Amino acid sequence: MAQTEKQKHIRNFSIIAHIDHGKSTLADRILEFSNTVAKRDMEEQLLDNMDLEKERGITIKARAVRIDYKAPDGEEYALNMIDTPGHVDFNYEVSRSLNACEGALLVVDATQGIEAQTLANAYLAVDADLEIVPVVNKIDLPSADVARVQAEIEDVIGIPAEGCPAVSAKTGVNIESVMEAIIRDIPAPDGDENAPLRCLIFDSVYNSYMGVVVYIRVKEGTLRVGDTIKLMHTGAEFETVEVGVMDPFGLRSTGVLSAGEVGYFTASIKTVADTRVGDTVTKVDSPAAEPLPGFKKVQSMVYAGIYPADGARYNETKDALEKLQLNDAAFSFEPETSIALGFGFRCGFLGLLHMEIIEERLEREFNLDLITTAPSVIYEITKKNGEVIYIDNPTNYPAPDEIEIAAEPIVAASVITPTEYVGGIMDLCQDRRGTFLDMKYIDTERVELHYKLPLNEIIYDFFDALKSRSRGYASLDYEFEGYVASNLVKLDFLLNGEMVDALTFIVHSEKAYGRARKIAEKLKDNIPRQLFEVPIQAAIGSKIIARETVKALRKDVLAKCYGGDITRKKKLLEKQKEGKKKMRQLGSVQVSPEAFMAVLKLDDDN
Amino acid sequence: MTKSLYRKANFMQTHYNDKKRLGIYIHIPFCLSKCAYCDFNSAPAQNPEGITRYVNALISHMESYKKGARAYEPDTVFIGGGTPTCIPMEELVRLIKAIKRNFRLTKYAEFSMEANPATVTYEGLRKLNRMGVNRLSFGLQSAHDNELAALSRRHTRKDFVRSYKMARAAGFANINTDLMFGIPHQTMGSLMHTLSFITRLNPDHISLYDLKIEPGTQFYRDYEKIAPYLPDEDTEADMYEQAVAYLADRGYYQYEISNFARPGKMCAHNLKYWNCEEYLGFGVSAHSYFNGNRFAFTADKERYIQGVEQPASRIKITDQNETVEERERLGEYIMLRFRLNEGIDSREFTRRFGSSFETLYGHKLKKFIDGGYMTARNGRFALTPKGMFISNYILSDILEFADFGKYVFGN
Repeated sequence: MAQTEKQKHIRNFSIIAHIDHGKSTLADRILEFSNTVAKRDMEEQLLDNMDLEKERGITIKARAVRIDYKAPDGEEYALNMIDTPGHVDFNYEVSRSLNACEGALLVVDATQGIEAQTLANAYLAVDADLEIVPVVNKIDLPSADVARVQAEIEDVIGIPAEGCPAVSAKTGVNIESVMEAIIRDIPAPDGDENAPLRCLIFDSVYNSYMGVVVYIRVKEGTLRVGDTIKLMHTGAEFETVEVGVMDPFGLRSTGVLSAGEVGYFTASIKTVADTRVGDTVTKVDSPAAEPLPGFKKVQSMVYAGIYPADGARYNETKDALEKLQLNDAAFSFEPETSIALGFGFRCGFLGLLHMEIIEERLEREFNLDLITTAPSVIYEITKKNGEVIYIDNPTNYPAPDEIEIAAEPIVAASVITPTEYVGGIMDLCQDRRGTFLDMKYIDTERVELHYKLPLNEIIYDFFDALKSRSRGYASLDYEFEGYVASNLVKLDFLLNGEMVDALTFIVHSEKAYGRARKIAEKLKDNIPRQLFEVPIQAAIGSKIIARETVKALRKDVLAKCYGGDITRKKKLLEKQKEGKKKMRQLGSVQVSPEAFMAVLKLDDDN
Repeated sequence: MTKSLYRKANFMQTHYNDKKRLGIYIHIPFCLSKCAYCDFNSAPAQNPEGITRYVNALISHMESYKKGARAYEPDTVFIGGGTPTCIPMEELVRLIKAIKRNFRLTKYAEFSMEANPATVTYEGLRKLNRMGVNRLSFGLQSAHDNELAALSRRHTRKDFVRSYKMARAAGFANINTDLMFGIPHQTMGSLMHTLSFITRLNPDHISLYDLKIEPGTQFYRDYEKIAPYLPDEDTEADMYEQAVAYLADRGYYQYEISNFARPGKMCAHNLKYWNCEEYLGFGVSAHSYFNGNRFAFTADKERYIQGVEQPASRIKITDQNETVEERERLGEYIMLRFRLNEGIDSREFTRRFGSSFETLYGHKLKKFIDGGYMTARNGRFALTPKGMFISNYILSDILEFADFGKYVFGN
């Protein structure tokens, strides 16, 4: 259908890339080039708001910004740049952001070429029917090989790349070619302004003054202040309070958004859980017949117990979790108790990175000392009585004689690696119960491996093992596939004869002995010597399958009191007392809080 | 000899009058060379002028305390280091004269000096003994030359035997030897051999220290290299327990974690540290407990000399200074008394602090008593050798944060 004049001057696009290929830096340069943000005012990487994002160099939550750009031909354009998270944990959020666009800039590092997430993101963009504009970045580096990377893009992704923008986002070289390509190659949006309203929610942020700020792309119709709206999947209804666009330095109320535009609205919404990413906004009085396709309720894939190190801080921990959840609908938690750790919470995450981010934010922003138990996936258990239950806490795993079928989640994983590491990586995948699917050469030096892998093997130190076997060169991407019946056993650990529930975990029966031995060794390293010998036992049911011993403490002394320096001795003892205070008392045994996580840090080979 | 007689013998060393007692410590921060394990304030001896300037500063410093110390009669003097015997004899003579000039020592004061077996001469020892130094402390460390080399000591076993005999001939009736265990390459056998060697020489006192690898030492920097040759924790604990038993059998009674003595020959100066008595230290890094305050002087030799010699310059030479409050004094008392075999006498504790040791800490002691780490007999609580070797663990368990005084707030 015909585009309006307004629509002809809009470009909606995302930037997608593998981690560290320069996505955020390119976004900065685009902002700068279009003069939206004077260089001197610009904080590095404006789009990444959270400290943590800056430190890790990754974008955790999507953000969008509208850039007013005057092209060399004199025409004025509104460019809506939608940033996307670049990690496997956030695939669904990426796909929704992409659905808000007509095009995507695919940034590829000129020194490294295509990586696992380059491909994964490119496929998501293809799925969303986007025009993909390749951008080769980091051409300022001596090892840059633009021609090779362009050829790789054409061969592997199958899109033309010859003559595509080749830039250095760092130095700003050739950014104008990117701007040209955005205007020339990315289609302008369309959509009937007078049709029933359909807006795609691609993100939302909680703000203590305005309530939830909902980021939307208007696909059809027009949204105005005061409209009574309905979220088609949740069914919730609200009245819009503010409607506008996202300037680089904040929200700017415009009162109206029409088909083709990207912007925000507020409607006194109290929690982001009400505004699910992917949901469709319509009007109550003239509703659309169908919601936009592609909505999924995000589900936690990985669960772990989070406990305050100091039990007295339970309520503080709860407040902090609630605050984080306001802004992160993918994060869930509910109270649980552990005999070993006391009162705490079972928390659900999209994946391991998501989990680490939440943990770090709790410790950093809320100043909490936490004990985190080993992460677990969700097991699907069909009981003998026909009941199907989902177990996210290994402690609750039913007794073997109650289980008819136990199933575990399987993912389709893709690993891209330089050819020289293929052997080691295949061994690793094999060892982690992977099923080999195929292997494709990306070029003469790199291959893409496809495996089916149990998710519980991936959360078990797989990333670190992959990195150490490829000297950090291999990249991983995976997608949930489904549940598969598996021969699982529950592995318990006993300290000094007493079971420690927080250490229990589920493992494939063939792996049980090896893991039990490794974990017992790790525990031994993390339990300080005590007055008495502490046996560490790993057990399946009542059968002990591994044993280690922490020997009794025999030496802990300051032999010399040099020249009457009493102060030094006092300080040492006080420090020691503080260390002891942090210890967790499990029955008669004192354990360092790190022990619960350390058991999962294996030194590769297992 | 029974314990109580033994205590009495040591008590007899000091003859109390109405003057307050005091220990004097003098730090000599010079050595022939730095040993691999040493983190004390010491440096290879510099030019003679540098030593003279330092001794001058010590003397001026003592003079400035002369008035304030009038109410005291020091009954112990300890010249330590470093290696006091590595500085020229005339400097030591000046120093000793100045000590006697500025403080009125008791008649039977214990006057100790540390000595390195490689740095003494018969004439020198004779001179020191004549001037009133009546206790000599040799740093032997081991009777095995390979272990001495590992410690980068400058002397051999032979040097030591010669020096020791010289000291006896020069009139020293009270000699200590410092020994170490946990040395790289040391075994249970080699330690027992060192002990048998030393007890046959029959010194009056033996200190047996466990080697601790401290930051700033050569051993600390070379840790990876020496680690394979260090005895492990269990071996060290065995070494300690066997050494304690062996020395007791040879008539060396353990009175402190690391100290063993013939009857009546306990080190009165070191006992002041553990009995919370007063002492005044002079020199760099010297610590004092005086008038209810604990303080220490700067580790910086130049600063020390300038600060002492030019009082008008207002150069600060005190590094730490804290008043020990009531509760902290109680904490210190427990911490220090548990170093001693005598341990804590609950009647004495109540007299000192007005509250009962059992009431305050009794509930925390059971596991240590049951485990054989502590004895409780007739109102006296004391660590066994096994308990002494894990005394940090025990003390950090039973002491409250309040017992550490202001450090409770993280200093």
